[in-house]
Amino acid sequence: MDAVEKANADRQKRWLKDQKIGEGTYAVVYRGREASTGRKVAIKKIKVGQFKDGLDMSAIREVKYLRELKHQNVIELLDVFSSKTNLNLVLEFLDTELELVIKDRSLVFLPADIKAWIAMTFRGLEFCHRNWILHRDLKPNNLLISANGVLKLADFGLARDFADPGYKMTCQVITRWYRPPELLFGCRYYSTAVDIWSVGTIFAELMLRTPYLPGDTDMDQLKTIFRALGTPTEEEWPGHTKLPDYVPVGQFPKTPMRDLFTAASADCLNLLSKCLIYDPRKRISAKDALNHPYFTALPYPTHPSKLPKPAKKESTIPPEEMDGNVEFDGPGPGVKANPPNKLKRKLSSDELGSRPFARRLDFSQHM
Amino acid sequence: MNGGEDYKAPRVPLYEGGTQYRHWRFSPEQLADTRASLNAVAVTGIRDAFEADLPGSSSQVSFLHAEEERLLVKLYVGKVTQLCGHFRFPDEVEATAMTYLKRFYLKNTVMDWHPKNVMLTALFLATKTTNHPISLDSYTARIPKTAPSDVLDLEFLVAQSLGFDFAVWHAHRALWGLWLDIQSLPDIPMDDLRRAYDTALTHVRASRLTDAEFVYTPSQIALACLFIASPALASAWLRSKSGQGGDDPALAILEPIRAMITTEGSPPNVEAVREVDRRLKLCKNPEKVPGSNAYNKRLAEKLRKADEKRLRKAEMIRKAMEDGDPFGSALAGQADLDDEDDDDE
Repeated sequence: MDAVEKANADRQKRWLKDQKIGEGTYAVVYRGREASTGRKVAIKKIKVGQFKDGLDMSAIREVKYLRELKHQNVIELLDVFSSKTNLNLVLEFLDTELELVIKDRSLVFLPADIKAWIAMTFRGLEFCHRNWILHRDLKPNNLLISANGVLKLADFGLARDFADPGYKMTCQVITRWYRPPELLFGCRYYSTAVDIWSVGTIFAELMLRTPYLPGDTDMDQLKTIFRALGTPTEEEWPGHTKLPDYVPVGQFPKTPMRDLFTAASADCLNLLSKCLIYDPRKRISAKDALNHPYFTALPYPTHPSKLPKPAKKESTIPPEEMDGNVEFDGPGPGVKANPPNKLKRKLSSDELGSRPFARRLDFSQHM
Repeated sequence: MNGGEDYKAPRVPLYEGGTQYRHWRFSPEQLADTRASLNAVAVTGIRDAFEADLPGSSSQVSFLHAEEERLLVKLYVGKVTQLCGHFRFPDEVEATAMTYLKRFYLKNTVMDWHPKNVMLTALFLATKTTNHPISLDSYTARIPKTAPSDVLDLEFLVAQSLGFDFAVWHAHRALWGLWLDIQSLPDIPMDDLRRAYDTALTHVRASRLTDAEFVYTPSQIALACLFIASPALASAWLRSKSGQGGDDPALAILEPIRAMITTEGSPPNVEAVREVDRRLKLCKNPEKVPGSNAYNKRLAEKLRKADEKRLRKAEMIRKAMEDGDPFGSALAGQADLDDEDDDDE
């Protein structure tokens, strides 16, 4: 056996697959453990044989970036090995994800809890941005949570390094409800600010316990944003009417955020509004956000181990806890953002109070 | 607050946190040792394969030395440039493919895998990892005598050999940074700078034919290349960074890089390589040559193992049936039983 093959086989032997916990067209996820220590891991087996262009782009992106990123608020890629025509990513095992926490109506969030989650999100994101990496798919179910409550960014299947100024990137990224207006207007030159907008919408969702800006279509998404935050003027966002896909979607007045977020502190609303500034150049950076007074003001962030968590039910490990692209169903990375296939739960306004739960496949009979 | 007080990662510079620094950085001695021992192991293995094929057959074979292997690889590293010109791929793709090819042969021997094929796969992989993907069909359509399978068959092997470390930092990016930096220094004659940048870039490109990237950081290589082009501009930049006058200690590290680029940075003599390639035809690993006895033997062994595994599985299923449950008892225990593409061995 060649040295390289042998090294691969040795790595493969380090990890044991225990149980399938999720399956999609793109990958199968197993719960597994490290043979020598028993440490729980998640093994994501990507079926490569089916792609006529070989290793596919989202697998490559995920491996490329996670190999480089080691941070307590980014999911850790422990190992990679191949088996026949499959690529196996060994990832740290994480118990739950923020979306499940938000949806669990039995949990009560204190302002300090929200502060802790947002701080951890910004820490992970600041590290990505410091490493010149855009995540481009931040949303609650890509924010995974470990057994001891630590939040970690996951699913780097749409990530990329920033392009040089003047180099085009695709605007078909980020799941619609978390997508910033510049991408909805077809902006092809963008930067870290796109991820910041997503954090802003997640921040709001944590307070509201329901998605803040749930548009039904890309057009409706713009309308939803403007209805919430007011239609941008040329003065607050110079040049936006010149963007490739600009369309006027109507004039909506600005309403004070305070009207919706009645319980939030002034610091909190100040940071939130800085994440949701229309002009990407004026939107706050992850680093500045971490230095925002909100994080040093009382109440201090909750310790991760004390954060609210869904009750542990042996049989309900979320099948897609690995990340979104397990369910990925489209022909290319760009498509993922367009029809947010994971977000089929159409929310009409009267449903906002009670969110439907049907979208998640039920794997419990396997457990 | 972000996960336990016990987590105290030492603060390391970003570059040192990455895979290039952690996995692909060597001293010149380590490089030579790695290549020598890789070559020795390969020769032993292939000699055994020859003997298994036909006893006594290895005695007249003249195997390649590490230095000859390196020469052949270098020729194909240079060919990446031609191919990238043909496709109009950007520098990032070209430099990444060259790095992949060089890294591949720190883990493999040319006597197992000919660089001509590995080069095509390394380049195809690099288009994807640098976010310039092109379809496999259009890629191979423009390369004579190449089928899609020629590229894909090696993709896993290449990715494995790279340890799945796809991210590569390049000297041309660092040089671009210098170019931007120096423009902001006072009293810089732009024409000189432009000329120096262009010359430095040709040196950076030449450095890709050398081991520089295994020994030095991209920023060191870039500065050395600028220094060759214009000592004045390079020194001015150094002074602006370190605040030191006179001889900056950083200058000392530039000399060995300069020497490496000037002595090693040109394509190898084609005649010499042709001779190596001719000998390679006689000493390549018979296990990798379809149709040879050694190849067939290896294949038979693989098939036998697969058969064994199938039997084992069938036996497990039969047992489960006998136990009265046609689907296996607790799914949790035997979850993989019905997993068709199960591949644990």
